[in-house]
Amino acid sequence: MKKDTTSKGLFSFIKDAILWNLSGSIGYQVYLCLLVCLMLIGVYGYFIQFRLGLSATNMSNIVSWGFYISNFTFLVGVAAAAVMLILPAYVFNDKDLHKVVIIGEVVAVGALVMCMSFVFVDLGRPLQFWHLVPGIGQLNFPSSLLSWDILVLNGYLALNALIPAYIVYCHYKGKEPVGRYYKPFVFISIGWAVAIHMVTAFLYQGLPARPFWNNSLMGPRFLASAFAAGPAIICLVLHVVNSATDYKIDNKIFNKLRIIIVSAAVINLLMLFSEVFKEFYFPTQHSQSAIYLFFGLEGHNSLVPWIWTAISINLLGTVILAFNPFGERQVFLMPALVLLIVGIWIEKGIGLIVPGLVPSPMGEIINYSPSNVELFITVGVLGLGMFVVTMLLKPALIIEKQYEDSHGEHH
Amino acid sequence: MEKPIIKKSLFYIFPGLLIFFYALAAFSGENEGTRNIKKAIVKLNKAQQVKAVIPVPKNIVRANVKYQGGVFFTETRKDKIKRFRCSSCHNNKKVSIQNAAAIAHADIKVVHGGKDKPLSCYTCHSQEDRDFLVAGKESKIDLDHVYDMCGQCHFRQKRDWIGGAHGKRVAYWAGERVVKNCTSCHNPHSPRFEKRWPKTYSVPQK
Amino acid sequence: MDSDKKKKINRRTFLKGAASAAITGGVAVTAGCKGKGLLGSSEAFALEFQEYFKKHYRLMTKTERKETVSRLEKLARLRQDITVNIDTTGPSENVLFGYAFNVTRCEGYMECVQACVEENNLDRKSNTQYIRVFEMEHGQMSPDKGDGKYFHMVPKEGHFYMGVQCFHCENPPCVKACPTKATWKEKDGIVVVDYDWCIGCRYCMAACPYWGRRFNWNQPEVPKEEITKEQHYLGNRKRVKGMMEKCTFCIQRSRKGELTACVEACPTGARVFGNLLDPDSEIRFVLENKKVYRLKEDLGTDPKFWYFID
Repeated sequence: MKKDTTSKGLFSFIKDAILWNLSGSIGYQVYLCLLVCLMLIGVYGYFIQFRLGLSATNMSNIVSWGFYISNFTFLVGVAAAAVMLILPAYVFNDKDLHKVVIIGEVVAVGALVMCMSFVFVDLGRPLQFWHLVPGIGQLNFPSSLLSWDILVLNGYLALNALIPAYIVYCHYKGKEPVGRYYKPFVFISIGWAVAIHMVTAFLYQGLPARPFWNNSLMGPRFLASAFAAGPAIICLVLHVVNSATDYKIDNKIFNKLRIIIVSAAVINLLMLFSEVFKEFYFPTQHSQSAIYLFFGLEGHNSLVPWIWTAISINLLGTVILAFNPFGERQVFLMPALVLLIVGIWIEKGIGLIVPGLVPSPMGEIINYSPSNVELFITVGVLGLGMFVVTMLLKPALIIEKQYEDSHGEHH
Repeated sequence: MEKPIIKKSLFYIFPGLLIFFYALAAFSGENEGTRNIKKAIVKLNKAQQVKAVIPVPKNIVRANVKYQGGVFFTETRKDKIKRFRCSSCHNNKKVSIQNAAAIAHADIKVVHGGKDKPLSCYTCHSQEDRDFLVAGKESKIDLDHVYDMCGQCHFRQKRDWIGGAHGKRVAYWAGERVVKNCTSCHNPHSPRFEKRWPKTYSVPQK
Repeated sequence: MDSDKKKKINRRTFLKGAASAAITGGVAVTAGCKGKGLLGSSEAFALEFQEYFKKHYRLMTKTERKETVSRLEKLARLRQDITVNIDTTGPSENVLFGYAFNVTRCEGYMECVQACVEENNLDRKSNTQYIRVFEMEHGQMSPDKGDGKYFHMVPKEGHFYMGVQCFHCENPPCVKACPTKATWKEKDGIVVVDYDWCIGCRYCMAACPYWGRRFNWNQPEVPKEEITKEQHYLGNRKRVKGMMEKCTFCIQRSRKGELTACVEACPTGARVFGNLLDPDSEIRFVLENKKVYRLKEDLGTDPKFWYFID
């Protein structure tokens, strides 16, 4: 690569990015402080957990994966969903979505950071993490699906961080990015997005020990729910960007995303129906988990209100989004998106992980709900994710705006 | 402009998937597993199955039957009976006390043989030679070889005991085969295991 | 792109360098602290520091194994003031361990559970138990219908008992699942865990269809006087919080020809243990002369643990 002769090098890029991130209105400063507080809560929780071991959580030998892995599963979907913007923007050259694709990619990076943090806080011996690193440790590849997941998630993080970083950096220098340098990676990232979520599904699907998970619909259903919940979250971020910054987002984009979300949500509901049919038309021993989830078993019914809430708001959100009663005014758009996100979060998080583990293979049934420490850490990780998104998005949008203003007429 | 790229990538994706599935199938190929063990028919040297030196336990006696691997040993019993030899009391002298048996052997309660046909002392013990058990007329059984006595009725259990499906080995799975005798575990006068509290319990998971 | 690659390489070499530097540093610290009573634990700290950087057990050379064993034995002396003997005996030729459980004979006394807890230094705080005994009503054969929490006089009328533990599958799903190869099947068929290599992700636990694995949710506690001192690196040695553990067929005993603690403790002879490759063994007699069955055979895990009925 030729060295750029202008004063705007990598160093000033980073310096400007940091400066832009720290400066802003009072509201923005308060928001940053709030995020730092959330993260501190997480650090406090993790401190307790690190000292006591995972007994600080409500997980046990029966429910060996809990709230952390539930959130991880949901967020992998959010990360994968960036592909729903990348695909039309880069492959079909959709001009509208091209404008927001960077926001999708940044959300994906934030989601991935959260995913990895959730896996990390779920480890019993985090200090031994280096045992996973090939070269100094031992990665059980290709046998273990978890090793696949680690590779695939890191690869996707690299792709989603480097592609926009390159484009934004070029725009920062006032240059047009060279398609030949980044386009191949865009194509790889499209396949990779599907791969991260399929591999995460295979993580559960590949366990014959758990009949609730050992189900070939898991992968496709993960994708469908991800392509509903992910763009929904991106939509929310767009809404925030639209109202809080001068980077204006056209109504057309919201409409396009709405259509994507509705199609995915309908497919997701269809697959959910197919699963429910299989479990309840002729219930077998293997349907115990589903019965536990939907109706409770032997008085253990802590998940029952959650799953019914999830299904109801899932349906409601989908219906509102599909019929869009207020047309262009989009009054119900944001509440409906929130309903859909929460619905999928419950159904795909705790509603998927816990019943997979209960009843235990030896038939024991217990209740699980996250402990305070788990909630603290989750809040902290959420804060971290939002922080990462903010820190990446703010300079990126400023640069994009500048570039657009100076080069707008060329397009 | 874009279409050829898609076509090109499809051109690579399909062979890639094919290779992937082939590798997956080869990777998770059939494993013969425990079906193999039937093929292991070569007799093994008892002493060479582990490197450690296995001491021969004390107080054992060679069983007068053979198991599939040949000679084996069982625990002696006579040295565990407190008042053996029996003949030191039961020595053909008259006992003048009434209910002598009930007093001298008050600890013994015979719960053996069912309600309809309970066993009496002389079903097993020899009346002539009290140091021995009796197995039909004029054949005596040493108390160390009590399995011969029990096996007369419990022939199925005896067969399993010889083979190894009933009873258990003493301390070692390797080396010379030494197994528990019938009366090592069963009280001959009341052979059924008693009802009692379990030693521990499983705490419910939280 | 180039600078990125460079960064990665730099990072790796840096990590490697850091590891080796730490090891040499640790050695230096140990050497320096020997005999100095200033900080009683500084030697222990140095040993733990070296332990942190040690390799996977299967990749260690003989001398490296000796070193780690001597470090662990020293640590037991320094930290807990006990003398333990950690064995590293490997599998023998022509040995494949198998286990049979006589459902008719078991009376539910739970002697095996207690013996196992004592032999394997299981955590007394959270009451970890490798073995579970299920009380089952007549007319069913699957432990998930049974009661694993009974505590009353046994045997109870109309019930029978069934013990469940790690079945040491020939095709173990847990081994396939582990992302760090910290659990594997030994040549003699025992599925073991390298405790120090485990990162505590608990994927193996989710993969096990028999609920054979136990996790150290808290720091395990064993009263000093109750610790079994004859230990094995892959068996009953000290574990800390965040490690996965499981039944090892009492590897510290079985590799020496002894019976496992559960077999030895069983008062009814319901448990049969032996070498599957020895045609004369008891376990082979059971397989050939009794009608045996295994749990969840449909999963293809091929467990080496058979149930039989007299």
